[in-house]
Amino acid sequence: MEKHSLLQKIVNGLKDMCYIWAKEMRSTVTDEGVLIFFILVPIAYPLLYSWIYNNEVVRDVPVAIVDQSHSQTSRRFIRAFDASPETKTAYFCDNIDEARDLVAKQVVRGVLYFPSDFSHKLNRGEQAHIGVYCDMSLMLTYKAIYQTAQSVATDINAGIQIARSTNYTDRDEELTTQPLDVEEVPLFNTTGGYGNAIIPGVLILILQQTLLLGIGLAAGTARENNRYRELIPISKHYVGVFRIVFGKALCYFMVFALMAAYLTRCVPHFFRFTTMAGGPELVALLTPFLLAVIFFGMALSALVRYRENVMLLVVFTSLPLLFMTGISWPQTNMPAIWQYVASVFPSTFGVRGFLRLSSMGGNLHDIRPELIALWIQAALYFFATCAVYRFQINHTRQQAFDRLDMLKRKAVEAKSNRNIKE
Amino acid sequence: MHILRQIYRIALRECGIIIKNPIYWFCMVLFPIFIIWFFTSMMQAGVPTDMPVGVVDLDNTTTTRAMIRRLDAFQTTKVAATYDNVNQARKAIQENKIYAFLYIPRGTTTGLATASQPKISFYYSNVTLVAGSMLYRDLKTVAALGSAAVGQQKLAAVGKTGNEIRTFLQPIALDLHMIGNPWANYNVYLTTAMVPGLLMLFVFLMTPYSIGTELKFKRSREWMAMADNRTWVALLGKLLPQLMLFLTIFYAFEFYIYYVLEFPHPGGIFPILLLGLLAVTSAQGFGIFAFGLMPSLRMSMSVCSLWAMISFSTSGATYPAFAMSPFLEGVAQLFPLRHYYMIYQIGIFNGFPLADAWFNIAALVCFSLLPLFTLWNIKRSMLLYVYIP
Repeated sequence: MEKHSLLQKIVNGLKDMCYIWAKEMRSTVTDEGVLIFFILVPIAYPLLYSWIYNNEVVRDVPVAIVDQSHSQTSRRFIRAFDASPETKTAYFCDNIDEARDLVAKQVVRGVLYFPSDFSHKLNRGEQAHIGVYCDMSLMLTYKAIYQTAQSVATDINAGIQIARSTNYTDRDEELTTQPLDVEEVPLFNTTGGYGNAIIPGVLILILQQTLLLGIGLAAGTARENNRYRELIPISKHYVGVFRIVFGKALCYFMVFALMAAYLTRCVPHFFRFTTMAGGPELVALLTPFLLAVIFFGMALSALVRYRENVMLLVVFTSLPLLFMTGISWPQTNMPAIWQYVASVFPSTFGVRGFLRLSSMGGNLHDIRPELIALWIQAALYFFATCAVYRFQINHTRQQAFDRLDMLKRKAVEAKSNRNIKE
Repeated sequence: MHILRQIYRIALRECGIIIKNPIYWFCMVLFPIFIIWFFTSMMQAGVPTDMPVGVVDLDNTTTTRAMIRRLDAFQTTKVAATYDNVNQARKAIQENKIYAFLYIPRGTTTGLATASQPKISFYYSNVTLVAGSMLYRDLKTVAALGSAAVGQQKLAAVGKTGNEIRTFLQPIALDLHMIGNPWANYNVYLTTAMVPGLLMLFVFLMTPYSIGTELKFKRSREWMAMADNRTWVALLGKLLPQLMLFLTIFYAFEFYIYYVLEFPHPGGIFPILLLGLLAVTSAQGFGIFAFGLMPSLRMSMSVCSLWAMISFSTSGATYPAFAMSPFLEGVAQLFPLRHYYMIYQIGIFNGFPLADAWFNIAALVCFSLLPLFTLWNIKRSMLLYVYIP
């Protein structure tokens, strides 16, 4: 007797879901390509990136000095410049052409030029000038050279001002050089480190891209292994949309819940990156993020004909996606069109949310817009995935029936042929 | 002559494959154009302007308001909101509303008048590095101007001339020369390294893809037969049309940025053309080499894509290579993009003689010649292997 009660249906559905989940899990380990993108890349890639950026700041940028003044002040300037952490005086040159050659040979990143009338002008009470020449091919070295020169100049200027004014007490001197005291407080990412600025974004993006690649590869493999190049095999387990979608999504979610924990907790810990996000907040952010990415990937994976094409479609988007999060070029200055395009991808909100939780110590209330956006994406892409799978199932069935019809027709034809012959 | 005809025939066959398979169109024409458009339009402004900054002004006098107006007048800064206290402003940073804020405590103006050295504070976030450092610069200037304004009034009161005042306030002035990119234009700085990297990524991927699909679609023997089983002839014929196509895109990109957007290129046309050619051939060379090492479509493409993505970091175009660990600085030489970037900045951006980049040019030539080492393996795989999905 066949049971058609609702309970029975649900139980069957759950069983099928578990079957599909188990099958997908197995292919994660056995399929070499999926293994690479689901396990190896998320484990190894963040380590590599963190290692690259782990020095955080640029130290001892080599600079050439052209000192034609040879005065006490110029030498004091050079000493202070060399002593500061960000720069070092690597070469002394006789003229600016010689220094330029050193820049061309990449041994120095900038030049300090003291003209021969430098100390004359100072002693005559005129404004003296120091030429600062920066190689602009690297912003970080330009910043290091210019800021160091500026702070050394400010320091020496203060000394000159004190000497030139008639002060009686130390307090007077302080007031002469700085009537208004300004305190600069770097609030978040206090070292101005490059790794701390870029790694959180890279980590979240790695999660998304590896998931997309893995899901796409799995779908491509499923198609290629299928006799009729269909995404969904003809099997009694693959009859309902929800059991397929949930079964697969559950597998991806389980693998990447682990990976997400590793990427957001372990990797920053290994390399001592700033992490201010608590466990519950991370769960609240990463759950909708992973769901959104999984359903996004599953909806798109129906487009994949051949497994290798996934790489061609996904890999290159990493860099534009990273830029769209506003991690490099500030979000407020992004052209409107790219703001809209950015809102299609889960990584945009995932990275923004993660940065604010992890690097700025924000709480869930601070990232409310991002959380809402991620849940909306998760829901939209879930329905899109269901629609795509529904279409695929119907398509598969239609094809199967067509083939059956064709076989029947052939059989009938063969029969009639035989009859005619007889 | 016979060989030339063979190459020509294989090239024709390859053209047919390219035209028929839409993935080639996407990866060789559409995506690259999209990438070029994306980066050049994203950073069209060159320098981020009017970034939102908050103000916590507890003093609220004409002096402090003048200071805020001055801050607002800077190109980079826009005073977007005022807050009642520091906590609210800090919250606003965490909510992504502002990047920094200026805190002026009560009594600042009185303090200035009574010479008791009042203190104002500027809080900025370095989480977005560009925003943080640019706003920091504006703050520095405003603070210096604020101090200077006080000194200026004092000195003017005792009858000093403008020249004397300037000299007193700043006895040593810095003449900053930002060579090549005096606007600190981020489009010039980033697009010139990121877009070539992505174009090379496409070459990286398409090369093993096009070779590997011969195996996958079981055309490899037919392909080798057309070249009388001479691998180099087969590869030359196959990759020539791709080279032409990629080169066209690359040169179009270079023409667009150097001659339409007018990015600085004091090095002139020759290094531009040379670098475009070397970039494509070295990426192709690496792609063939990778496929020769691992004659499996999937593995070679995985390796190529991972290599290409890492190269954005190891190129040292954003975070300098010499600041990385010394081991990585050495490893960076294994990435064609590193050499691309070096040749670009030495030969094109700074206009130094190409001889200064001889090492990098030699390296790219070596990358182009890498396939020589794995030709035998490609031949073996094309004739013996069958595709395993």
